[in-house]
Amino acid sequence: MKNLFCKTMITGWFAVLLSFLPLSAFAHHGWAWSTGGNIDLTGTITESKLGNPHGILKVEVNGEIWTVEVGQPWRNERAGLTDEDYAPGKEIRFIGEPSSDESERLLKAERVYINDREYELYPDRD
Amino acid sequence: MEPILEWLAQTDVATYFRNSRWGFAAVNTAHIFGISILFGSVLTLDLRLLGLWRKVPLAPFSYALPRIAAVGLALALITGLLLFSVRPSEYAELGVFRIKLALICLGFLAALLAHARGSLHNGNRRQQIITGAVSIFCWAGALICGRLIAFMA
Repeated sequence: MKNLFCKTMITGWFAVLLSFLPLSAFAHHGWAWSTGGNIDLTGTITESKLGNPHGILKVEVNGEIWTVEVGQPWRNERAGLTDEDYAPGKEIRFIGEPSSDESERLLKAERVYINDREYELYPDRD
Repeated sequence: MEPILEWLAQTDVATYFRNSRWGFAAVNTAHIFGISILFGSVLTLDLRLLGLWRKVPLAPFSYALPRIAAVGLALALITGLLLFSVRPSEYAELGVFRIKLALICLGFLAALLAHARGSLHNGNRRQQIITGAVSIFCWAGALICGRLIAFMA
């Protein structure tokens, strides 16, 4: 009785945990999920979700929608960026690392350019 | 549900934590304090219920540990609500977040039931093993699902 019960609990538990793992790729935390190389992306912001724990933009680039991770409020502020700069409709250019899974269309921005002015989100990265 | 989530997102408290660097970091840290207090005490009691340290009487475990766990749970719930308020709609639609809440409810109800039945004091062996196993299942699962939120959202 005891053994069967424990086995059932443990098996059920791992089944629950494993069942949702493949649903979504790991993202956001650190840089481990990105390629390590930079790309250059220019487009129009269509949607903007700013604030902790991550600032997320949807950007239309040549007819494709990219998800771009920008800074938390303090990082944007340090770079000299306001919420207005990230508002939908704005033209914006990013340099940053894309997800190593290209089909995700996901970019973590290191630098932002608005009207040719540079804003450094991660001054120590190149 | 959605109107409540939208209302929560635009409260002053949510706006503050969404924009503050150290305020957010402090709540985040306090949440982890709550979880560690809760899980550490629950795990110790559960292992005793499952049959570890049979030489030591159950009474001191079942006296002290549920009290410590309750404090940890209260802290985790309060700080958890604050963290949730920053992005309510986004978290609410997340699979791991829903599983986490379900496991917390289950673990909490199982704990209330165990207290009501007196399983921590005079329950038979079988009752104690079931109580301990269900508890570890719920709280360890909730912890893992909670950590995964950061990698899904």
